Amino acid sequence: MTKRYVMVHDENKCIGCQACNVACRSENGVPEGVTRLQVRVEGPFGEMPHLHFKYHRVSCQQCEDAPCVKVCPTGAAYVGEDGIVSIHGDKCVGCMYCVAACPYKVRFMNPETKVADKCNFCKDTRLARGEEPACVTVCPTDALVFGDANDPQSDVAKLLNTKITYQDKTHLGTKPRVYRVPTKRGGI
Amino acid sequence: MNNTWGDMAQYDPVTWHWIIAVYLFMAGLSAGSLLIGIGLRWFNKDQAQGETSILKAAAIIGPVAICLGLACLVFDLTKPFHFWLILINYNFQSVMAIGVLALLAYSPLAFAYAILVLRDELPKWGLGFLVPIAKLLMPFRKLIEVLLFILAIGVGAYTGFLISAMNAYPMLNTAVLPALFLVSGLSAGAAANAVLALVMFKTDSHDKTLAKMHGLELPVMAIEIMFLFMLFCALYFKGGAAAVALASLTSGVWASVFWIGVVGVGFGIPLLFMLLPAATRHSKGAMIMVACASLTGVLALRHFIVYAGQSYLS
Ligand code: SF4
Ligand code: SF4
Ligand code: SF4
Repeated sequence: MTKRYVMVHDENKCIGCQACNVACRSENGVPEGVTRLQVRVEGPFGEMPHLHFKYHRVSCQQCEDAPCVKVCPTGAAYVGEDGIVSIHGDKCVGCMYCVAACPYKVRFMNPETKVADKCNFCKDTRLARGEEPACVTVCPTDALVFGDANDPQSDVAKLLNTKITYQDKTHLGTKPRVYRVPTKRGGI
Repeated sequence: MNNTWGDMAQYDPVTWHWIIAVYLFMAGLSAGSLLIGIGLRWFNKDQAQGETSILKAAAIIGPVAICLGLACLVFDLTKPFHFWLILINYNFQSVMAIGVLALLAYSPLAFAYAILVLRDELPKWGLGFLVPIAKLLMPFRKLIEVLLFILAIGVGAYTGFLISAMNAYPMLNTAVLPALFLVSGLSAGAAANAVLALVMFKTDSHDKTLAKMHGLELPVMAIEIMFLFMLFCALYFKGGAAAVALASLTSGVWASVFWIGVVGVGFGIPLLFMLLPAATRHSKGAMIMVACASLTGVLALRHFIVYAGQSYLS
């Protein structure tokens, strides 16, 4: 069966510590000034004293119907056999069409390679070595779960079957593979 | 950087800047001027007196504008010296790849057509060595014209399809955009043809073809205004993020660019001149001024669409 890598971010467990952000930078050699992953702390929401914050993971959604792949003139932005949306650096001319077309604004031009860049589920680094993505491994509260959703025995599949999740901007038909467990309650 | 998650610069939704707006303008101008030039030639049955100055103007603007536009495009790449990658790798799902193919055919044809139309002028400009090529091309004139005309429609509309193919931006992701860009390209083309014909080829401002082209301006402008209206109506009735994007008409610098540049200068000045007595209206100075106002309006429209369009996300 083909793989369907997905990631779940539990916004109840997340504390916005940015450990994932830092781990991603060092694992994937992301230069200063740009990021593949940020966890934005949004809010506070609610009335005093029941304030709560929302932890919003901002990274490539690994769209199943990816606008960046559709618009790329050279095919540099592509879907691999593992289903992961990634970039052939040597084919990229740097037209920024994909950066403009990404509805989540998570693509950027890498200032060192001059090539489009974004989260690729650590495809070239940790995944290639059979390890879990850096952000998942480092998370102190285990807010991130990664795996093959087509494997019913995997942790992600079980999680998706038992918890309520949502995805960002589903109305655009991109079918994001980053799922989020919504914040349930307030309290700082 | 004053938050825990880092620099936000890369998340600015405005990815493409003025240089892309200029490219879209130049490509539209090139296509528009050739469409007008060739269209009028077909429409004018009396071709006895040789090439009209409008056609000669179009033959220059066509290739020159597309080259300037492409230069903008290439130098806006992060890897400008690898631009050839885009010529050897094609993803046919991508509007840009299809545009590259169209431009690969369009640009050389525009040059060929220029050599053909300007064959009597070339020796005066020290380009006499091109005249034999013109002689060679002459038998294929009709074929070149038809192909160029079709490709010009493609290029003009392509500039709109390029940015309407992104569903990330509600104002850009509309069906009227390619049509709007094609028509506003026509009005830019007509204006630039008029300027060049009057200034470079010293056409009399009562010239017949010039008058015919002049007659096209009002209907073209009316269609342009209608398409703009349709664009804003579509956003309004779609609601949600699309309706929010309408705020670009009432606030911020792009609202000024729209109301002053597109509406005031681009539509207002040409319309005001139409109210003047015929003698003043048809003076060379007045015609050049109106044409420059139209060109400014079209350039402003491209900037408004590119910037305001990218400022609002779905
Ligand atoms: S989130 Fe953006 S970069 Fe990632 S696959 Fe979707 S469109 Fe492409
Ligand atoms: S910047 Fe590179 S990856 Fe993105 S669309 Fe252009 S060529 Fe493709
Ligand atoms: S999966 Fe890898 S590349 Fe993607 S955000 Fe996590 S660490 Fe970064």
